[in-house]
Amino acid sequence: MSVFAAILIGLAMGAIFGMALEKGRVCEGGVIVCQMQMSRHAMLKMFLSAVATGLIVLAILVGFGFAKLSPKATLFAADIVGGAILGVGIVIAGACPGTVLAQIGTGYKDAIFTFIGGLFGALAFTYMEPNILKPVLTTGAYGRLTLDQLLGVPFPALALGFAAIIIGLLVWLEKVSPWEKEIGPNADGVPEDPALPAAVAAAAPSR
Amino acid sequence: MLGLTKRAWSPYTAGIIVGLLQIPAFLLIGTALGTSSSYVTISANLAQFVDPSIVEIKYAANHLGGAKNWWQVALIAGIVLGAFLSSRLSGTPRWGHSPFWARAMGAHTPARRYAMATLGGFIMVFGARIADGCTSGHGVSGIAQLAIGSFIAVTAMFAAGIITANLIYKRV
Repeated sequence: MSVFAAILIGLAMGAIFGMALEKGRVCEGGVIVCQMQMSRHAMLKMFLSAVATGLIVLAILVGFGFAKLSPKATLFAADIVGGAILGVGIVIAGACPGTVLAQIGTGYKDAIFTFIGGLFGALAFTYMEPNILKPVLTTGAYGRLTLDQLLGVPFPALALGFAAIIIGLLVWLEKVSPWEKEIGPNADGVPEDPALPAAVAAAAPSR
Repeated sequence: MLGLTKRAWSPYTAGIIVGLLQIPAFLLIGTALGTSSSYVTISANLAQFVDPSIVEIKYAANHLGGAKNWWQVALIAGIVLGAFLSSRLSGTPRWGHSPFWARAMGAHTPARRYAMATLGGFIMVFGARIADGCTSGHGVSGIAQLAIGSFIAVTAMFAAGIITANLIYKRV
């Protein structure tokens, strides 16, 4: 595929992705941090919905031979250390590497700083990778290991079963904590201020 | 259900749309959704102006060009565009920073928030590059492929995130 075609496809897919991130409200730092405080679950609901849909889509694509999986290699130390550092960064920034771009689109100015910080983080990694980080990165390397291989179950069957479990969990989660309450009166993940009546809080400018 | 002028869709609708994006990703590009390696493509291309020898680093060279790398850069540019359109159509544009931060941290200046955002962005992408994926690459795409490494990375991400969020912020 030509680079030009790839860019056009990327822009179109990204526009849909960005719209979903904005409408799903995970473009709000409050939604992300409250998820990490485990007080509200809009982010987890959207995340698990995307995973369940992906499992079903890939079960079909792989089952009928339309596509091949491209799972990332299992790098035990890198996955744990990198994943943990990522989690700390997400909480400090109030964004993920993808959702920060949706924040920029909605107009949040702090997101531009998050993005620039991210570029420097990528650059720091690039310079450190060959000499300093290699020992971490290559400890516990198991190649492209997947759960279906480990269990000896065909991917489509396991994927559909796992999707069913996730959907069950989501049904329960929605019952316990309805999403419309979780996003708050101003749809920014900020709950009603107990000090203010709800109507005043909803009318307050979101500065 | 999919009104563009609505300020929010259910997280289920929004998540299903993201999951469906795996179809063009796998069929047209031959890869899964992800966002964090585009930070390497952008920063390495920019760094070339200052340090041309960066191309000698294999990791940078692998990310400098090619259809898949530029596809992901276009993807994140598209995210900005889509979120911009969505927020304008629903009349919920934002500016400055979210009032959430005052609730979580008490009174603070914009400068303090911007410093935190910069630091958080740095840590977030640095970690994502060590793990070789972020919330989309390891989370949404990796778990959907039942990759063991992605289960580990996402568990570590949420565990560290939950501890940090409860340590450094007031409970909101």
